[in-house]
Amino acid sequence: MADGVTTARAAGDVKAAGTEGDRFQSILEALDEPRTLVERRRAAWERYAELPMPTRKSEEWRYTDLSKLDPESFEPLAPATVEEDVPVGDLPGEVAGLLHGMDARSGVAVRVDGRVLHRRLDSDLAAAGVVFAPIREVARDRPELLAERLYASDVTPMEEKLWSLHVALLTGGDVLYVPDGVRIPDPVHVLRWTGEGGRLHSTHTLLVTGRNAEVTWVEEYLSPDLERPALSLSGLELFGGDGATLRYLALQRYGRGVTHFSIQHLRAGRDTRITGLNVNLGSDLARDDVTSHLEGPGSESEMLALWFGDGKQHFDHHTLQHHAAPHAYSDLLYKGALTDSARSVFRGLIRVDRGAQLTDAYQTNRNLLLSEDSHATALPNLEIEADDVRCSHGATVGQVDEGMLFYLMSRGLSRQRAERLLVFGFFDEVLGRVPVEGVKARLREAVSDKIGI
Amino acid sequence: MPHNETVEGLGLDEYKYHFITRDKPVFKSRKGLSEEVVRQISAHKEEPEWMLEFRLRALDIFNSKPMPTWGGDLSHLNLDEIYFYLRPQDRMQRSWDEVPEEIKDTFERLGIPEAERSVLAGVGAQYESEMVYHSLREEWENQGVIFESIEDGLKLYPDLFREHFATVIPPADNKFAALNSAVWSGGSFVYIPKGARIDIPLQAYFRVNAERMGQFERTIIIAEEGSEAHYIEGCTAPQYSTESFHSGVIEIIVKKDARFRYTTIQNWSNNMYNLVTQRAIVHENATMEWLDGNLGSKLTMKYPSCFLVGEGAHGEVLSIAYATDGQHQDTGGKVIHVAPHTTSRITSKSISKGTGRSSYRGLCKVYEGAVGSRSNVECDALLLDETSRTDTYPYIEIDENQSTIGHEATVSKVGEEQLFYLMSRGLEEEEAMAMVVRGFIEPIAKKLPLEFAIELNRLIELEMEGSVG
Repeated sequence: MADGVTTARAAGDVKAAGTEGDRFQSILEALDEPRTLVERRRAAWERYAELPMPTRKSEEWRYTDLSKLDPESFEPLAPATVEEDVPVGDLPGEVAGLLHGMDARSGVAVRVDGRVLHRRLDSDLAAAGVVFAPIREVARDRPELLAERLYASDVTPMEEKLWSLHVALLTGGDVLYVPDGVRIPDPVHVLRWTGEGGRLHSTHTLLVTGRNAEVTWVEEYLSPDLERPALSLSGLELFGGDGATLRYLALQRYGRGVTHFSIQHLRAGRDTRITGLNVNLGSDLARDDVTSHLEGPGSESEMLALWFGDGKQHFDHHTLQHHAAPHAYSDLLYKGALTDSARSVFRGLIRVDRGAQLTDAYQTNRNLLLSEDSHATALPNLEIEADDVRCSHGATVGQVDEGMLFYLMSRGLSRQRAERLLVFGFFDEVLGRVPVEGVKARLREAVSDKIGI
Repeated sequence: MPHNETVEGLGLDEYKYHFITRDKPVFKSRKGLSEEVVRQISAHKEEPEWMLEFRLRALDIFNSKPMPTWGGDLSHLNLDEIYFYLRPQDRMQRSWDEVPEEIKDTFERLGIPEAERSVLAGVGAQYESEMVYHSLREEWENQGVIFESIEDGLKLYPDLFREHFATVIPPADNKFAALNSAVWSGGSFVYIPKGARIDIPLQAYFRVNAERMGQFERTIIIAEEGSEAHYIEGCTAPQYSTESFHSGVIEIIVKKDARFRYTTIQNWSNNMYNLVTQRAIVHENATMEWLDGNLGSKLTMKYPSCFLVGEGAHGEVLSIAYATDGQHQDTGGKVIHVAPHTTSRITSKSISKGTGRSSYRGLCKVYEGAVGSRSNVECDALLLDETSRTDTYPYIEIDENQSTIGHEATVSKVGEEQLFYLMSRGLEEEEAMAMVVRGFIEPIAKKLPLEFAIELNRLIELEMEGSVG
């Protein structure tokens, strides 16, 4: 924006009545954001106020009950106005520990509640034109990077309520822009830590690459077990330029007490290759809505996820592989294991538009139930309007193979240990497809930690 | 195989539009649905008071339930324009002469016996088959089989009827089950006694002098312990109807160790909304098989279900759908595992041609306690044209960890190489295409009674002619 930083002051009324509207108003007043962003928040807040909460009566929310969730009972974290520059050595212990173990990194950002404590990008990348900065700053300095990208996703009516809340109450967001032909050698690693109960923490990622660029983005969501519940909202908008290679890997390890919603839209241009992985291990309730938009001919999307639920955890995964262009390829592999009285839902759709000929699209969901009280629901769907396609999907629900268990136990392992090893092996089909060794090791560690090996 | 004959001018794809309705009924209830219409139906059938009360209660439920918003497009279905009751004799007003040439030709091509044609065309019951029916009936009666119209079932076996009626599908099950419960008319009442084995399939259209399958048919079938039977409804030949809305309810109870197969093939004309609820309760070690073919109608929504309530029960749904221009076949199957060691299998094959859309929609539910249950669902879809569409919507809900559930689906077009291979062996492209499609539906066609399989094959061949351009 030409006018630089514009501090938004109360301009017009906010529709929502009562204390909520007042609270939102006071958040707006405290912001240090360009007017365009403030207006986006205001519009989103109005939309949020208009829309009903999703209920189990709608098909998309049939298996996840939000009736006990009142988003307004959480105190929104105030967006930071400046970023701090705490050296890695001085970061709080629990966060600093998380930065160990993944050695090679091209960039890193550490968010702790509303604050950004640390941000770094390799200087040669910055010199090559790579932008890695908070949304607020990019909106001020490089608004053209956000135009028709930020909050531009075609969210479904069922996503819109929470998406609107996410935009209206955004705590902070990161933009990564990679110009044409620039290859970021090592992962960019973002930690998002929620330490306070009773809070609403909303974070956004905008990942944009030019032609033939390459990037690996690793996002981690963490918190201790919280006594007072917290709400986490996250959004991803990913734009892969023609011929670019993008890897988006999200690891969710919230403690108990957290409810987490993630809405992800990934757009692939001509010959773009995207790998997305969502690992859900933590939180009480986590719901991911992931859409791959295959908009360019020859584009490829690999969609991976794994989850391990115990206690009363509830994981809900919704996916859409939308083939709008011909000659595109998508492959989805979602695997989950559940024990205790955990539940999971997978609802995936492959949609092939008329004209998206020569589509190859695959979708596999596998579920392991390890206990009597665990429940899994699988809804793999296809909608196909082109005739020259290869599409298949499969879903299974079953148990750990008794024969394999017997084999391991005959070699002296306890039943529990044998079962856990087999679950780990079950997940390795997904983890084995993670293309970056350092990240793979970190994910394996997180998974084995959760399973208890 | 009638490969080499030309059927230009037959226009099988169009025959459905060529029906001309000259409807001159003597008596009709008023258009639309009201308490008065329901009372009229009940009075006309001289029903006991409890049935009238049941119908009125169902009407309330129907009025209170919203129209479904999933599945097919029901926005053009205007229930106020529908006659909910026609007296059966009024249905027979049309004569054979009025049946369009095209349909007669199709019967000819399909090799349908003269005797059956008039019934299929909706112009009356035939006398030839009455004799067949009588000889069969005698045999069945000797075994204690009851095979009556649903109205006669209620009159002649009031206790047996009341014991089972609406126990499998209560009126509140869904909006159209409620509608059917309020205005049902026509259908069969079948009772297979303990241990009876019936080799010749019970066919609904053998049941002469009874009401023909109506708009709101209602069928109850009770297969007693250890019995075995096969019931067939409908036929592969095009069915001529002046009505545009059909909503049936089929209830089946398969008791311990019994085996029952229900085959239904519908080929309604292209203006028909066909919304049917079919469900079986399957007891200990019993087997239920649904064989469901959907070729006609504008929109069909039909998901035959098996509730596996007894240990060791087995349920099977074989579904074939063929959707051509302007058609939407929203079909599939449901299997609900309630008891331990129950098994089920759903096999669905669909073909979409022209602007046709076929959707598989199904449910596999395993309740907690149904240990050792196994279910497998396989859906294959074949797309013949750029404008065709196919969808797969399986629901898999598993509450029991000691179970094994799988679902698989594939979508493909007829492979160039398959066609090339067959054509290199001297087949015309159309013949090759028909052969590939026949191969595709083979696993289901071979389960059909011979005459049905032959008709189905011929029908597909006819449909394929002129389809390759």
